[in-house]
Amino acid sequence: MKNTILVNIDGEEKNVTAEIIDKKIWFKLDGQIYSHDLTDLTAGSFKKTKSMSKSPDKILAPMPGKVTKVFISENQKVKKGEALLVMEAMKMEYTLKADISATVEKVFSRVNDQVTLGFLLIQLNEDK
Amino acid sequence: MKKMRRVAIANRGEVAVRIIRACEELGLETVLLHSDADIKSRAYRLATRKMRIGPAATALSYLNIGANIEAALAAGADAIHPGFGFLSENADFAEQCEKHGLTFIGPSSDAIRTLGDKVSFKNLAKKAGLPLVPGYEGKDQSIAELLKQVEIIGLPVIVKAAAGGGGRGMKLIRNMVDAEALIESAQREALSAFGSAQIFLEKYLESAKHIEFQIFGDCTGHVEHLFDRECSVQRRHQKIIEEATSPSLSEDLRRKMGEVACAIAALGKYKNAGTVEFLLQDNQFYLLEVNTRLQVEHPVTEEVLNIDLVKMQILTAQGNFIFSPQDIRIPKGHSIECRVYAENPYQSGMPSTGKLGLVQWAEGPRRRFEYGFESDDIITSHYDPMIAKVIVWDENRSRAIDKMIRTLKDSVIFGVHTNIPYLIEILNHDEFRSGKMTTRFIETYFADGLQSKVSDEQTRKWAIEINKTLKSSSFHTFSGDMGSQTLSPPTHSPWSSHWRGI
Repeated sequence: MKNTILVNIDGEEKNVTAEIIDKKIWFKLDGQIYSHDLTDLTAGSFKKTKSMSKSPDKILAPMPGKVTKVFISENQKVKKGEALLVMEAMKMEYTLKADISATVEKVFSRVNDQVTLGFLLIQLNEDK
Repeated sequence: MKKMRRVAIANRGEVAVRIIRACEELGLETVLLHSDADIKSRAYRLATRKMRIGPAATALSYLNIGANIEAALAAGADAIHPGFGFLSENADFAEQCEKHGLTFIGPSSDAIRTLGDKVSFKNLAKKAGLPLVPGYEGKDQSIAELLKQVEIIGLPVIVKAAAGGGGRGMKLIRNMVDAEALIESAQREALSAFGSAQIFLEKYLESAKHIEFQIFGDCTGHVEHLFDRECSVQRRHQKIIEEATSPSLSEDLRRKMGEVACAIAALGKYKNAGTVEFLLQDNQFYLLEVNTRLQVEHPVTEEVLNIDLVKMQILTAQGNFIFSPQDIRIPKGHSIECRVYAENPYQSGMPSTGKLGLVQWAEGPRRRFEYGFESDDIITSHYDPMIAKVIVWDENRSRAIDKMIRTLKDSVIFGVHTNIPYLIEILNHDEFRSGKMTTRFIETYFADGLQSKVSDEQTRKWAIEINKTLKSSSFHTFSGDMGSQTLSPPTHSPWSSHWRGI
């Protein structure tokens, strides 16, 4: 099979099914499927991916989809756990909440906006 | 008998493929009514004709009655199959089809209004003295009235879309504090998924099983049931695993519930395929709703009875299907269906979109794969995350479970994350294996999805090793003895561009 190769994994030769799709490597090893960003592999040191570098003052889109409701406006105070915005993808709703008590600095999306994964939706300013 | 030559399909994905196959076997041509977002799909490639009905947004395409009818007529279709979801339970759509001379492959618009509308269905069942779950289905849809009704029914209360199904717009209220926000959210989801914000309230049974009966009315209006399915494994009220027949019914209970199912269908003068849903708790059963359409999980019924429900639907619409007393149907063995969703089970089910790479279904005896997308097709965020269904049959339930696990383990889908690891964990769970699971099974044991047993750092190490081997092996395979592994493969080779993901 064109996608199956023999790879040395931790000192053992194993059959791995693998494919590169849009800068991501997908592989099946011991019955499990994994994927990993290829841009992350090129650097010698461990580079943090987008999702790991997110900080609680930046509300990023956790998935591609549509913004269906925005509860807050700029300069508004929000409490930890407060709902900020609702997104919809594949007909399911997801509510994004504040992980910190903060002031809304800027809102980058409006209702009905289609946003991509990792898009900065809201910038918060943490209360000191 | 009605003449039928060309069937339009007002749907997408795997069910569109399923309908195309049934039409092909009956010698009928097909017209796929599709949105801009579904050109790269299997149904598009298989249909005899294709007609665009609008852009990706469902309100402008798959939920647009006028656009669907216009396109079907323009393509010279004489019938429409609505599949499930979208317009399948929309009485206005069925009526418009008939008005324009298109045979609607499903029940009459009157039957959809009577039984499909949850409010009218409940009134009918009440009058006939059939068992119902306590609830509110009034016209007053103001937040104040709904909140008052929640208190009257008593918590926990479930909010459902009146025009809905498939878990969309459903919310569970456990505290009065959250009630208002949940009701509003349910109304928004209902409006977006079904075009109507109308909702109703129902007492939530804490440890119920979801049991349903496949019913079928032939072209004379004679209704029979085609036995039961159990769909207790649900997450956010969306079914994940279904089976036929239910492991929980005694023969006595099966007979009683089957009689109630046929009774309500007959009251609604039902023709064609439909499903009567029940909740079962402590050997008491309650009528939940009637789905006036083909069900996602229809294949498990087909497997245990050796029938083809979609063909029966088309024949009935043609006036060419009558139950005969000679047909004795007895379910044989056990069938299970798993819905494959494009989502990441390690990120609590976050939707996953992207271009499909390798897709390999592990074929074998009595394994069935219903899928709408293949390699190079794109899974978008516009529609339902269900990308395929895997169905198996075996002589008994435990063998069917083992067969399903093996089938899922041996299948490969690259390009989007899928819930396959999640399905395997569920199938292996003691409570599922025992057959005792209730609709709370998922929230009890799998509320947070799965924890990955492998660290990101470990995955990264493997990825580096595999990437290296992949590059060198593809280079050697396609450019012979030309050079060392450090050189890039020539970019004009179609293989190399494939491997490099360009």
